[in-house]
Amino acid sequence: MSKSSPCTYCGEASFIHDDISSELICSSCGGVQHLYSYRQRKLFVAQNLINEVTNPLGLSFKSSDVRSMISTITEGEFGQGEWFKVLIGACIYVVMRKEDRPLPMAEVASTIGIDVYEISRMILRVVDFLNLRPDFPEFDIVHLLERMIRNCSGCASAERNLIERMRKQGMFLIQCAVKWYLSIEWRPVPLVVAVLVFMVELNGVGVGMEELAKEVHARVSTCRARYKELLETLVKVAQVLPWGKDVTVKNIIKNALVGIQYMERNAMLKHGEKREEGLDQATVDLKDVVVECLRNDGEFEYGVDGMSKRKDSRYFMLESNAGRVGGGDSERQQISLECLSVLYKKFLDENNCAESLRGSGSAQKRRILQFDLLDKKLLLKYLLEKDVEVDTMSPSFVNGQLKCKMRRERINASMVRIKRIMHQSNADLADAEIPGTLDGSYPESRRKKRKGMVVDDVDWEDLIIETLVLHQVKEEEIEKGHYNTLLDLHVFNSGIV
Amino acid sequence: MAEQALEGSQPVDLTKHPSGIVPTLQNIVSTVNLDCKLELKSIALQARNAEYNPKRFAAVIMRIREPKTTALIFASGKMVCTGAKSEQQSKLAARKYARIIQKLGFPAKFKDFKIQNIVGSCDVKFPIRLEGLAYSHSAFSSYEPELFPGLIYRMKQPKIVLLIFVSGKIVLTGAKVRDETYTAFENIYPVLTEFRKNQQ
Repeated sequence: MSKSSPCTYCGEASFIHDDISSELICSSCGGVQHLYSYRQRKLFVAQNLINEVTNPLGLSFKSSDVRSMISTITEGEFGQGEWFKVLIGACIYVVMRKEDRPLPMAEVASTIGIDVYEISRMILRVVDFLNLRPDFPEFDIVHLLERMIRNCSGCASAERNLIERMRKQGMFLIQCAVKWYLSIEWRPVPLVVAVLVFMVELNGVGVGMEELAKEVHARVSTCRARYKELLETLVKVAQVLPWGKDVTVKNIIKNALVGIQYMERNAMLKHGEKREEGLDQATVDLKDVVVECLRNDGEFEYGVDGMSKRKDSRYFMLESNAGRVGGGDSERQQISLECLSVLYKKFLDENNCAESLRGSGSAQKRRILQFDLLDKKLLLKYLLEKDVEVDTMSPSFVNGQLKCKMRRERINASMVRIKRIMHQSNADLADAEIPGTLDGSYPESRRKKRKGMVVDDVDWEDLIIETLVLHQVKEEEIEKGHYNTLLDLHVFNSGIV
Repeated sequence: MAEQALEGSQPVDLTKHPSGIVPTLQNIVSTVNLDCKLELKSIALQARNAEYNPKRFAAVIMRIREPKTTALIFASGKMVCTGAKSEQQSKLAARKYARIIQKLGFPAKFKDFKIQNIVGSCDVKFPIRLEGLAYSHSAFSSYEPELFPGLIYRMKQPKIVLLIFVSGKIVLTGAKVRDETYTAFENIYPVLTEFRKNQQ
């Protein structure tokens, strides 16, 4: 007889080992005891932990894949403790990413209850350990948007067709946002929230930004900033409309459909141009290209990442086009003209543009009449002349260019001051030689009059630049703005010959 | 002297820098062996410009003004010098630190000085489409927008890590001689122009 933990049936602690069946039998009730080894218990706990993490993410069907990955990494040993939960989260992220269905890191981190940077380090380690880098899919922001729409609790009450339309619209818009550098400077999740907020507003779904941001664990203030940038960019896009100057961030929602239609049509037009150039023709007849595009829309099957832009046009078609059957190009142009006219009138009625135009009712009427005078030729002119692609630059690039320009101006101002000091008798001539620089370098606000003397308003940066110029540092180097480096190399460099 | 500077700067050597852009060296990390055991507490007590907190870090942190650098001095006699802007400065700084240790009474030497890392930076002056670069050079690229706004490019030859940003700023690290930095930039520049965002 041997003693161990109590019997699972009667609670007694008296057992007999059956030599024939190799089982442990309770001597009181005869129940067969099933005892687990340490390894079995560890594996059981590990599986429970995996389920504990995958279930809240709605990924219980991926539990076996995650388990397999962890088994590979730990060589079948698995693990226990907090670090193991981090590993589970990282493997979940990698499994979904490998299938081009990425999860936000913040969501995984929140589910586990850790910081996003902690899980990101583990994710990188998993990717490196399994040598997944060459074939590891890129982060797919489009799929992230789809996932958000699918999991949005506030959109659950909307009808299915509306959800599908929002999905298509969102996919198109998010890719435009990528092109406009709206996604490149910052983390992608807040931008996805911003696009989704725009879509729900466009389609009249009652979901707030706070609710959407909370669902994906994004900061509301960041989402608002991305949303503002998105609206501002869309306003730029809408400038191509006949009433583009009247479009603002407040009324952009009403003009979004038409603006995006124009953008898509121009993209098709540009594709047609490229095709013509490929045929080595001496000249390109844009008119024929446009006519061909309007006649055979189906011919231009192209897209981004497998998404056909032509298919998107149906989701942005106006209701007035729904019941019409497209015929010849003349009829199509007529339809477009009519639609534009109707939309413009609707726009004026809804937004009281008469007031913003600072005109009376007659001015509004005159504007409408002018619009009605557009004929087919003018419509074609719009298609030929308008480039709806907003050619935006990344904000950091623009800021860098501005800073470089400012430094150039400071350098020129420093050189002027140095010349003035070195050639006091020729001060007037120096002023005359570069009047533009003087005007730019010495604005009225920078002068201070003190006890009858005129003192230039120079700050620390001007002094540093002047010092570097005196030490014969290249102007191109100074423009870069690495002052500490340049000072160390050229000014505070005593002891080195 | 100033007039010569005001007249303009010398052109870039295009044979060495075909792109016309020369990366600026931002930081040099070097190591040297003082070849003697050191009493860190004694050093921290005697030196004015030293700080020592063994609970946080097992080395004395010492700084000098010229060249403006920071040194990590370990009890084993090994020293790491950071913050210099050129190889000469790094070596000069290391010698100064060694001299300070000698004046404190330790038989410090100056053995096995070696440049361990050179960090450079430059600006290509055009924006870059990081998504396209990451996609077409996936074997060398790591672009995780959820973690870091730049693309991490691990060049094989020379073995340099580049941080590439959409603004056109480039950071190059991992070089042991400056020519590696220059070569790495010349290698990556044609790739960057391929994925540049065209301006109006």
